[in-house]
Amino acid sequence: MYIAVVFLPLLGSIIAGLFGRVIGDRASQVVTCTGLGLSALCAALIFQTVAIDGHSVTVPLLTWIKSGGLDVSWALRFDTLTAVMLIVVTFVSFMVHVYSIGYMSHDHSIPRFMSYLSLFTFAMLMLVTADNLVQMFFGWEGVGVASYLLIGFWYHKPSACAAAIKAFVVNRVGDFGFALGIFGTFFLFGTVGFDDIFAAAPSKAQTIVHFFGCDVNAITIVSLLLFVGAMGKSAQLGLHTWLPDAMEGPTPVSALIHAATMVTAGVFMVSRMSPLFEQSETALAVVTIIGAATAFFAATVGCVQNDIKRVIAYSTCSQLGYMFFAIGVSAYPAAIFHLFTHAFFKALLFLGAGSVIHAMSDEQDIRKMGGIGKHIKVTCALMWIGSLALAGIPPFAGHYSKDAILSAAWASGSTSGHIAFFLGMGAAFMTAFYSWRLLILVFHGKPRADDHVMGHVHESPLVMIIPLLVLAVGAVLSGAVGHDMFVGEENHEFWRAAIAILPDHTALASVEHVPDWVEHGPLVLAVSGIALAYLLYVVFPAVPSFLATNLRGLYLFALNKWYFDELYDFLFVRPAFKIGRGFWQGGDGALIDGVGPDGVAAAAKDIGRRVALLQSGYLYHYAFAMLIGIVAIVSWYAFMAH
Amino acid sequence: MFAAVLVASGVMVISSRNPVHSVLFLILAFFNAAGLFLLLGAEFLAMSLVIVYVGAVAVLFLFVVMMLDINTAELKDGILQYLPTGAVIGILLLVELVALFGSWGFAPDVEAIIQSQTPPIAQATNTEALGMLIYTKYVFLFQASGLILLVAMVGSILLTLRRREGVRHQKIADQVARTTETVKLHKVQTGRGI
Amino acid sequence: MITADLATVLPELLLALAGLGLLMFGVFHKGDATRVVSVLAILAFAAALLVMAKGDTQSITAFNGLFQVDRFTVFSKGLILLAAAFTTAMSVDFLEKEKIGRFEYPVLIVFSTLGMLTMVSAGDFLTLYMGLELQSLPLYVLAAYNRDNQRATEAGLKYFVLGALASGLLLYGISLVYGFAGTTQFSSLTLVLGATEGAAPSMGVIVGMVFILAGLAFKISAVPFHMWTPDVYEGAPTSVTAFFAVTPKIAAFTLLIRVLEGPFGQLGHQWQQVIVVIALLSMFVGSFGALGQNNIKRLLAYSSIGHVGFALVGLAAGTEMGIQGVLVYLAIYLFMNIGAFAIVMLMRRKGVAVEGVDDLAGLSKTHPALAYVMAGVMFSMAGIPPLAGFWGKFYVFMAAVQAGLWTLSIVGLLTSVVSAFYYLRVIKVMFMDEPKGEFDRHIGKPAKLVLVLSTAVIILFSIFPGPLLSSAKVAAQVLFPG
Repeated sequence: MYIAVVFLPLLGSIIAGLFGRVIGDRASQVVTCTGLGLSALCAALIFQTVAIDGHSVTVPLLTWIKSGGLDVSWALRFDTLTAVMLIVVTFVSFMVHVYSIGYMSHDHSIPRFMSYLSLFTFAMLMLVTADNLVQMFFGWEGVGVASYLLIGFWYHKPSACAAAIKAFVVNRVGDFGFALGIFGTFFLFGTVGFDDIFAAAPSKAQTIVHFFGCDVNAITIVSLLLFVGAMGKSAQLGLHTWLPDAMEGPTPVSALIHAATMVTAGVFMVSRMSPLFEQSETALAVVTIIGAATAFFAATVGCVQNDIKRVIAYSTCSQLGYMFFAIGVSAYPAAIFHLFTHAFFKALLFLGAGSVIHAMSDEQDIRKMGGIGKHIKVTCALMWIGSLALAGIPPFAGHYSKDAILSAAWASGSTSGHIAFFLGMGAAFMTAFYSWRLLILVFHGKPRADDHVMGHVHESPLVMIIPLLVLAVGAVLSGAVGHDMFVGEENHEFWRAAIAILPDHTALASVEHVPDWVEHGPLVLAVSGIALAYLLYVVFPAVPSFLATNLRGLYLFALNKWYFDELYDFLFVRPAFKIGRGFWQGGDGALIDGVGPDGVAAAAKDIGRRVALLQSGYLYHYAFAMLIGIVAIVSWYAFMAH
Repeated sequence: MFAAVLVASGVMVISSRNPVHSVLFLILAFFNAAGLFLLLGAEFLAMSLVIVYVGAVAVLFLFVVMMLDINTAELKDGILQYLPTGAVIGILLLVELVALFGSWGFAPDVEAIIQSQTPPIAQATNTEALGMLIYTKYVFLFQASGLILLVAMVGSILLTLRRREGVRHQKIADQVARTTETVKLHKVQTGRGI
Repeated sequence: MITADLATVLPELLLALAGLGLLMFGVFHKGDATRVVSVLAILAFAAALLVMAKGDTQSITAFNGLFQVDRFTVFSKGLILLAAAFTTAMSVDFLEKEKIGRFEYPVLIVFSTLGMLTMVSAGDFLTLYMGLELQSLPLYVLAAYNRDNQRATEAGLKYFVLGALASGLLLYGISLVYGFAGTTQFSSLTLVLGATEGAAPSMGVIVGMVFILAGLAFKISAVPFHMWTPDVYEGAPTSVTAFFAVTPKIAAFTLLIRVLEGPFGQLGHQWQQVIVVIALLSMFVGSFGALGQNNIKRLLAYSSIGHVGFALVGLAAGTEMGIQGVLVYLAIYLFMNIGAFAIVMLMRRKGVAVEGVDDLAGLSKTHPALAYVMAGVMFSMAGIPPLAGFWGKFYVFMAAVQAGLWTLSIVGLLTSVVSAFYYLRVIKVMFMDEPKGEFDRHIGKPAKLVLVLSTAVIILFSIFPGPLLSSAKVAAQVLFPG
């Protein structure tokens, strides 16, 4: 059963990938879906044994590398953390598989798509069941490659190719940090197996290494390097630029990879390495700040986007920020809890968006939608559920996990924790705002699409709706059901050894003792966000376009005596728009993209040309280069070495 | 004296404008090197240098150079362009090497190691001593250099030998194998023709 | 005495006799003997491999220390013989299609390989020099082998002149070292240099070592002694380039390790600086130089420069683990490059060989199998796990990190990211661009075999790394007794 859960998707992928042409589209769908379904079943059973009954298991497969001090073996490790991830991954993946049958029904290469999906799932499962860092890195790169293939699935679209490459390259930057982190870990502990590392972590807490001329704490360095890897995969501030672009892939891919599973790999990895991170206050503070900044930043950007998938993508980014600052204040269970609930409602939102796009004949711009709620009632209702969950309205799932995180941030008592708390509150407000902006623009009000498109609006087939319904159940219930288990009083019983928290990190334990305003603040903010969206887009639908386009509108608006609203707008919406724009275009586009990927690429090309210019083709130039080399080296010894 | 002339003629080989002069200076350089060998007591090496290099190789060069008739002016183009950097690098290397030899040191027990290599000169003549080393201790290297020469020969043949159509080769075997049966003898009268 | 010596050099002896025999056979054979001679040459390689595998694996010296055999030499000789056999096998079809088949080709390869085996086993600088020349001369000839092609002759000439310069540097270095120590034998050199331990090493030896290093760096085409590589790779016939790219590099690299860890082992601190600089430059030039290339052979040339840089990282570490990493890297490098060149050799349209990267466009549609193999090779070269190329890099960088060479490993990883760009570009061209027209369908049996084998190694290494790792480890241990 333990082996089956991981290898069934691989089997499905191989069958669909290699023999897809032979067995046909339908058979490939059946094979991969069956594989995933069985795998999800196994995952549920494992959850029962491992998490509920408390029998952690390690299944050794074979010895992989044995060289000197390095001893790496393939083994599957199942503890509570893994079990939770297994549930999320297999379950959401199964839903996405089923959904894809409907969504991709017009595509020409269905077997390839199904095969990639299963391959991705396999790599992800490999990642979460890894028993050592190297094996985890294998899964880590595996999901990278699979996501590259999936984003670039429609390879005839130039933008898809570009996005695939961008995702790959940005992720490589993160992977580079991860790889260095692994090297560093091996350097420090002499092993890459989790058990040994965790056992040795407390004793190495004070180790100092000499690095680039300054003395730093070894664990801090290693933790930060690992975190760079996590930032890449989980699209945190600085390395997040690939995620919105990755929306070029088919929508089920966005739901599977860029909402529920792959982007959470970073969160998982840091939680897995919690014994290490716990030893370094600096690393935790950095994680907190980065996470909170991402949460806030992505939320502001989400307010001004017009592409339905991009709005959700920035929202994903923002929610990942929540998870990271939860980790930063040592509330790992809360982070995983949010990961768990988020997987359901975010997948629901993405798949729902896919359903909308499907209905609107592949239109993705929300300004050209509107009023379609009447025609696709089920999808509309499901999107509402997803948004309610995202905004954190009780009793939907997001409420429990987000509250837990925010309370923990306040309860941590540290400066970084408090900064995170306030940024998180702001983000919660904006989350509600943009969710409802999206809902209203898409489903309500007057249709803005032409009649031809409106005439074609239709509900998606059953095969797409059923997964949505299942996910909606998850989005409604997972919070209430999981709350006590994940973050309740007895959460130590549940997590056992899977997560380590130092005794003096009490953020999670003291969640119950936060002031009332902290406890209810998020809900109030969320409701007011919804109210603002309602005011702006339903009561006064003209306002936003006026605000965004000309000052004359602003003037007329003032004449209309809506002083309150104008103040609101002046104080909040416009700055938010501005900040959002500023971050998006200035920070994101010019600074990070310009100096980062684009700038580096341009510089690399330039250097490349220069290096090639050296190659003149003249023999005596070559001979001369050799002599210069010799003389340089000899001179080095003659003058410098003494 | 030999060394000074050797270096001077080496410089002339490179810088002389006329390739024929270059080759002649090369021969001069060989002679001086042979002289140096003689002073060191290595007569065999000196003689073989004169015979092989001067007698065969350099003369061959001379023929080739004279037959090719290279335009001398063309080769010198652009030398000024590279002179500054070249000079800097060359002088730097020279200074370093001079400094190097100025402070030359030997390993502590270097004499003992050198002594064991060759039989004493009193016991064997120069040629004998060489032979004894080459055919016993260094037989492996001797064979290897044989192979290198063979490869060089194969390579040069491969790169230059062409079988052209229509070239008339002399078939010696056929000529020798000719007998009187295949040849008709005519008695040609003077002043007549056949 | 002499019998024991001959027994030690049995593989070399076998190859030498085979070379001579094949030469005679070729001369007296009526008609075109290329194919027959090639097959016989491959058999000779196989026989030498067999003899070597059967032989004693203890450390032995022969011919008064001129020649030495141990597990380290056996490992690298095995690689060399494998590479030689594969490249010969691949080239038969290629030569016939190009109509330049001549029986001297395999004969020259046999002699060159013999030279490499000799230099790998060198126990003395004289043997080293003899082996080096014996391997280089046939290579000069082979580079210019297609003598009616101007580019090929130019390549041959360039290689020859620069090679002669490198040999000169090497000899000068040897004479400097001899002048200091009075011996050219590795074992006595170790003793002599070991005796001066503690005191600052003599400048003469260091300069001599630098010159020797330069001569060897030329052979492995490390920057700044790399300038010949792109031109020669491009100009020489592809089958020759394939041979160039793999075999001599393995030999020269082994030799470099042997010389630096053996006689100059005491000067580790000195040569480490040089190697670090050369490695940095090589990785840099290798990754940036290839960015603008459109000729696939030139691209592979730069890629090989980059790979040499990565392998040098392991050597710079100077530890047993580093050397093991280098050996593993070389083995993987062999299979990746053979695979890549096998495909380049198959790139011909209507009987004419093409070499542009954009000629590969749409290969995934016209020849899916070839495209997947090439993609595997490219991913592996870029160092994407879990393919073999990743592990090669992994081991050398691991060793470098353990030896505290942080800067080196960071620059290395960065340049490997840059190089990933052009490898991915090849893949992009193959999979995403419109086809330019089909390649000729015919794929010979040897080429198929080589492709399957190299793919298998690239993929399977991550699953079964054991045999290669352990033999490399045993080989590396020889250099670090005790």
